Amino acid sequence: MFVVGGFLAVAVFAWFVVLPRLQPAVFNGQVIQSGAPAPAVVLEGPDGQPVSLTDFEGKVVVMYFGYTYCPDVCPVTLSKLARVRELLGEDADDVQVVMVTVDPERDSAEVLETYMSHFDPTFIGLTGDPSDINRIATVYGVYYEPEESTSSVGYLVNHTATLMVIDKDGELKLILPFDLTDEQVAADLARFVG
Amino acid sequence: MVRRHDPEKDRLKKNKLLLWIAIPGALLVFAVMAFAIFEPIQVLPRIRLGPGFSLTDQSSLPFTSEDVRGDVVVYSFGYAGCGDECAGMEKTTREVRDRLDEIDMEDVDIRFVTMTFDPANDTPEVIAGVAQRAGADGEVWRYATGDPQHMENVVRSGFRAWYSSEDDGSFSFDPMLVLVDGWGVVRGEYKYQTISSDADKIVRRLQILGEEIRNSKGAASFAYEAAHLFLCYPRVPEHAPSCS
Repeated sequence: MFVVGGFLAVAVFAWFVVLPRLQPAVFNGQVIQSGAPAPAVVLEGPDGQPVSLTDFEGKVVVMYFGYTYCPDVCPVTLSKLARVRELLGEDADDVQVVMVTVDPERDSAEVLETYMSHFDPTFIGLTGDPSDINRIATVYGVYYEPEESTSSVGYLVNHTATLMVIDKDGELKLILPFDLTDEQVAADLARFVG
Repeated sequence: MVRRHDPEKDRLKKNKLLLWIAIPGALLVFAVMAFAIFEPIQVLPRIRLGPGFSLTDQSSLPFTSEDVRGDVVVYSFGYAGCGDECAGMEKTTREVRDRLDEIDMEDVDIRFVTMTFDPANDTPEVIAGVAQRAGADGEVWRYATGDPQHMENVVRSGFRAWYSSEDDGSFSFDPMLVLVDGWGVVRGEYKYQTISSDADKIVRRLQILGEEIRNSKGAASFAYEAAHLFLCYPRVPEHAPSCS
């Protein structure tokens, strides 16, 4: 009886403690295991109101660094995220897409609000003081640099095009490269929502 | 015909069923414990994102974090007016660089970057002289400087390398090396100590990372993710910078 009881205890332990952790999911993006809060972000959101990452507690935040005059990568990424929200169905309510501008000189809160709403009405754009944006972008592993251009819109900004996924507890958990498909991004996000 | 109830038979049947449930559970636990204790797969933790940067190298060429995306990079920090502390760190970096043939990263390159935290004085021309003395070729090993505010964001906030300027123009700092993978994720932070085994330690960490890069493919990637989950995740990285 003791033997059976012992095995039962082990089985219960395995079921409730070990198995839940035995989910070495292989993500399409790269997992980070910091267990520490994502670096703080407090910038100007829609209507010029301050927006902090902590405002989205309980939601999965997909953060992107881009700008409204961006000719290719940014609209492609934001369109992709709009489709990802469709793929997620009802779980999309748990996802908040945020774009931090790397071109604060041209991207006012108003410009960003109009731009982001073209892709999805829930998307939020953040702007702010250039030095604050440089500090935030740097700690999120994002490089950006203005580049002269013959384009009619003026200069362009080269920038890192990865997406950062911050989980519902406010921890930076995943980096998604630009070249993932809609389905791959949705599959990775699905593990954090619902 | 009346079927007789045999309690002894029922009890044996019940115990047999419980054993069928318990044994696989026990085996699973033993397997997990063996995995954690014997560490058949060693991994370096994925601590946090390394910083993005836009700097200038010793050849006065633009040098950004995107230039080393996909490469494994060993970062170090110092300044031109630095004395023995930087000399020791340079020696370790040089020794690791000279032992790259001991590390198999498949098609991933290993690079070394030394950043100054005194950009006001360490112009590209100045760091060119330091780089030459240290034996940095500008390709495998680069020195970098940049806008003072951006350098502070990169070194202090991004890499979390502590330094403080003194009245005499010198700096107090904690010499350290930071290992960053091709995703730009910090995989190790090594406080430099003036002991001869420093290069051995860095080389060993690079070998572990190389093994992961070479082997974590297909079904094996699940085993590597399990290793990360069990060997790294429960620990606080700041207190346990490596789970290897």
